[in-house]
Amino acid sequence: MMKNYSVSDIPRRDFLKMSMKGGLLIATTPALLTSLNGCSPEAAMQQSGFGIDPVLLKKVIAKALEKGGDFADVYLENRVSRQIVMEESKFKNGLYGISQGAGVRVISGNKTGYAYTDEITEEKLLRAAEVASYVARNSATTTPVDINKTDRKSFITVERPLEDIADSQRIEMIQRANDAAMSYNPVIKMASVDYYDEIRGRIIANSEGVYLQDENPLMFFIVQTMSDNGKARHMSRERLSKHSGFEMFDKFTPEQVAERAAREAVAMLDAEAAPAGMMDVVMMNGWGGVLVHEAVGHPLEADNISKGIGAFTGKMGQKVASDVFTMVDDGSIPNARGTINYDDEGTQAQRNVLIEDGILKGYMTDVLSAKQLGMERTGNGRRESFRNIPIPRMTNTFIDSGESDPADILSSTKKGLYVQSLSGGSVNPVTGVFNFTCREAYLIENGKKTKPVKGATLIGSCLDVISNIDAVGNDLDFGPGICGKGQSAEVDAGQPTVRIRGINVGGSRS
Amino acid sequence: MNYTELTNKLVSKALDLGADAAEVFLETGRNLSIQVLNGEIDTIEEAASAGVGFRVIVDGKSGFSHCNDFSEKSMEETLKMAIEFAKLTTPDENNVLTDNEGITEVEGLFDPEISSIPMEQKIDMALKLEKMTLEDPRISKSSGASFGEAEGEVFIANSNGISKSYKTNGCSVGVSVVAEKGEQKNTGGEYCSRRFFKDLTALDEIAKKAADDAAALIDPQMIPTQKAPVIVHPDAAGSLIRGIISALNGERVLQGASFLKDSMDKSFASPLLTIVDDGTRAKGMGSAPFDGEGVPTQKRVLVEKGVVKGFIYNTKVAKRAGVSSTGNASRRGFDGLPGIGTHNIYVEPGDKTPEEIIASTKNGLMVTQITGYGINAVNGNFSGGASGFWIENGKIKHPVKGVTIAGTADEILNAIDMMGNDLDLNKSFSVPTFRVKEMMIGGA
Repeated sequence: MMKNYSVSDIPRRDFLKMSMKGGLLIATTPALLTSLNGCSPEAAMQQSGFGIDPVLLKKVIAKALEKGGDFADVYLENRVSRQIVMEESKFKNGLYGISQGAGVRVISGNKTGYAYTDEITEEKLLRAAEVASYVARNSATTTPVDINKTDRKSFITVERPLEDIADSQRIEMIQRANDAAMSYNPVIKMASVDYYDEIRGRIIANSEGVYLQDENPLMFFIVQTMSDNGKARHMSRERLSKHSGFEMFDKFTPEQVAERAAREAVAMLDAEAAPAGMMDVVMMNGWGGVLVHEAVGHPLEADNISKGIGAFTGKMGQKVASDVFTMVDDGSIPNARGTINYDDEGTQAQRNVLIEDGILKGYMTDVLSAKQLGMERTGNGRRESFRNIPIPRMTNTFIDSGESDPADILSSTKKGLYVQSLSGGSVNPVTGVFNFTCREAYLIENGKKTKPVKGATLIGSCLDVISNIDAVGNDLDFGPGICGKGQSAEVDAGQPTVRIRGINVGGSRS
Repeated sequence: MNYTELTNKLVSKALDLGADAAEVFLETGRNLSIQVLNGEIDTIEEAASAGVGFRVIVDGKSGFSHCNDFSEKSMEETLKMAIEFAKLTTPDENNVLTDNEGITEVEGLFDPEISSIPMEQKIDMALKLEKMTLEDPRISKSSGASFGEAEGEVFIANSNGISKSYKTNGCSVGVSVVAEKGEQKNTGGEYCSRRFFKDLTALDEIAKKAADDAAALIDPQMIPTQKAPVIVHPDAAGSLIRGIISALNGERVLQGASFLKDSMDKSFASPLLTIVDDGTRAKGMGSAPFDGEGVPTQKRVLVEKGVVKGFIYNTKVAKRAGVSSTGNASRRGFDGLPGIGTHNIYVEPGDKTPEEIIASTKNGLMVTQITGYGINAVNGNFSGGASGFWIENGKIKHPVKGVTIAGTADEILNAIDMMGNDLDLNKSFSVPTFRVKEMMIGGA
């Protein structure tokens, strides 16, 4: 089955598992195939490069190309993660994890062979190389270039390293968020605070001579609150995530995150049934950008383009969107959740303009799809962990800032739906058909935001929606999320306030 | 390595290091995935791996850690971290481990044949399936075909003297294709997964279903926004039923975060709706001898004739609720704590053939796909994207794409007025065709 690509604003492991029609593999060995929440490193990285000698990596690459092939790489990873969950005002769970392993890949023409091991030893690495080399049997071979330390720019700075933070400080942030949420309003009946941090170390070496090593922190802080007034109930959510040290909380306090969540939970208690049918939609700045992440971003990932089946196949240089629409993927935004420095194949992250003033300008490629399409590598070859093959993925993806005043966009919309936040959604990358679920939305009546309405679905097709965006605000903002495409990746999605003329809204009244 | 011995040793080690109670969950796995595209190998991925998770209880506080490095030093350090992390949490009298030594006998969880089949034969199956599907004149492109297999073994030991293990495997084959007509594109596919290789559906049957799936929705027509009967096809039915399962999660119920929190022994849906969770079915994809913390699996009626009959629990939440675990501790792997989940869910079939249901519908929508999150387990609200077929005078008239359907759990589930007899028990989540008497449809 063609799997739809999905995005959500919090980890949805079970949801992802169930939604994957390839569920068998997952049913039998869940963690091994879907460690969506891989866990991470510290100690092992202190030895230079997991204590791995570059000479061994050279040997592994040579082994991988022994039977043939155009390209081979070896990826080593080490993660140390910490997760602490507070629910119902109790510290419910504390989880600590270490995960390490390595994957070896061989590309031969259009074929890819991949094998991984969680034991980083010479024997196991060479065995993985041999297994991966199976696809290249009987093909011409390349002589690997000697690996050499390679320079790449970094966009991730750390002021307060996670390894210097006492767990009591983590606990304090969680408690503060919980207290702020629970004291916000008596209708807030429950709060859940999920704190997660990890340090992910990686080593990448390939047959083109690249040899890279880095180590980056990631923090993810999620506050959910549930309101209940006896008549209605609403579960709300707010997230904060950065590739940074603990200074994330200096810029955004736990109280701010909690209050935003609680505000939504209270506001949505009065939600009425949403109307059904085609209507104009104004989408608030920030995480709403996830709609174009799904609807436009996924179809612009080059893997389906190179297969000749993507929704944007053959449209390069053509007008695909309205003049006010410019869309960018940028893995180099300082400390953002989707920032990667360089991708998991070693290609430098950069700002890639995908659509400029309505004209299709670029796809997002990895090593394989760039080769297949004869295009540049854009730094979008990412993987969830050493257990996964790199594929084209987004990083920080957004509609670029426009010129309209957000207040004017709203006031010039007579009737419609104002979408303040979306939960997430999915897209079929071939047809470009997407769906999204609103978490917080309001009716627009006479240019004003009025009554809240219950979580409605928005559906449409990517080409329609970007042609129908007729106003783009000057208030670009971002929100953190998790993108699912068989494997998960941390991303930011962003946009200024925008208006989409005519989108199908799944309400329950006419 | 003898993992049974190792898990028992690690439980003792945890107690030596200061835990009052400990559980060790160890998992090993091996998998193979073959993807082909346009008559060639696209990707072959193969790997074996293993990991271990430690749950400890110290002064009523619970901590967890995991690692995939089996060196003695690494495991001891990881165990110590679980104990350290436990100290951060709030004591809870419900932090207990199971002492249930039972094991449910479940037939057919392991097929020794799968791993003995040569790689070439598996590649050929995927290639053949793709070729057969592309031979259909309605199909223009392939998005790939695949063969996959996975094998896993689970070992659980805890300080109440539990020490159990089981082994499973399974295989799958599938294809996904595109049908095009002018500017129109539609994707479709079919896929089959089974515990036993010899039980896989014949390739020509999979190919036909995939081609039909892709071609069926070409030349759709829009329908007006309206209220009308909605027939839900088995492929789409999960979207409406899954929300009920989430709402039966015993922890959500205790937290007040379920639209079924006050519904025990009360009717919340049509008498045509009976839902069963069966962890014991022979060859079931969701079957197992025991759950994610070692409690034997059962076959349980969750909803009977529209009345809630059972919530689902793991050991901790069951203790909090004052009941026994229902064998529903779910573990997504060695790297997480047990949550709550189901095994093989099915809705009891009714007496109508799908054809009878269509024939008795004057005007209405048959949905074959629903997108979105399904019924919201917290408040029962539902809104989704839908595609399928418009029915007029009891006959399929034309395909429909790009519409929405919406309502509340209360409205939708009580309006189920026909239940089909077409239940496919090969799936771990199976629902027959059913009809909802009236639903809001958003169209033009």
